[in-house]
Amino acid sequence: MMEKTQKVIIVPCSGIGKPYGTVSREAAYDVTEDLRPGQTRLVPLALLVLGDEESRSVVAKNPAITIDGCKLACAAKMVQQSGGTVAQEIAVLDIYRRNKDLKPLGIAELNEGGQKLAKVLAEEVTSLVDGIIAGKQGGENA
Amino acid sequence: MPDFLETTVDKFTFKVATDRFYTSEGIWVKEENGRVRIGLSDFVQQRNGDVAFADVKPAGTVLATGEEVAVIETIKVNITFPSPVNGKIVEVNPAMNDAPEAINRDPYGTGWLAVLEVADWEAEHAKLLDPQAYFMIMKGQAEEETKNP
Repeated sequence: MMEKTQKVIIVPCSGIGKPYGTVSREAAYDVTEDLRPGQTRLVPLALLVLGDEESRSVVAKNPAITIDGCKLACAAKMVQQSGGTVAQEIAVLDIYRRNKDLKPLGIAELNEGGQKLAKVLAEEVTSLVDGIIAGKQGGENA
Repeated sequence: MPDFLETTVDKFTFKVATDRFYTSEGIWVKEENGRVRIGLSDFVQQRNGDVAFADVKPAGTVLATGEEVAVIETIKVNITFPSPVNGKIVEVNPAMNDAPEAINRDPYGTGWLAVLEVADWEAEHAKLLDPQAYFMIMKGQAEEETKNP
């Protein structure tokens, strides 16, 4: 059974210098800071790569949503390597394919399309967070 | 000859299928009973990254060699590919509409772009590179990119 203190961990792509990585991080900030701050926590992929004990422990004990910027899927792989469970895996490219008019450009600062794409992605992640939490509560009440 | 010629440059391994011909831009051409199937080489798909959209000219389009046959948008770039032959498109890979990532997953198989009807395959064939010739060009391009990414 899930502990009540558990949060949904969001692990975005760490690709620096790539618009799709930036979209993943913008969406992750949006979810963890504004949309579902109480239910989620962002864990930077870089800390998992470095083997940071606290990050590995948090990921191992909580369900994670990974947001990957390319098919290498580093976020999903690192969560698994850290002993965690990938509850949901999202690829930014799949979101873009469904929103062709929102082409992300720019790196440090996304263009308007990229910002809107990040919003769409954040909404999708939020919906997944809600689903995971609802599943947990269902399990706890059963 | 093996099914593939293969080279590893830096951390990347590139394959060239030996059962077809190529242009120097990395478009492959495979003759099939008077028609040709075309697609992108493994090197081209790896160099340009994950494909987001593939816009291939529709069936019925008549093309001269060098005219635009497809535009591919990847996470890195938008690229226009020239037709490798004179011909008429008779079939477009339906996967290009809903699953263009087939280009990345299986560039020499399910990731094909289109089938063209050609009037004179012998003449078209003479303008193309055999696998060994393309392999050498591709290897040079890959090594150059490693030096100047």
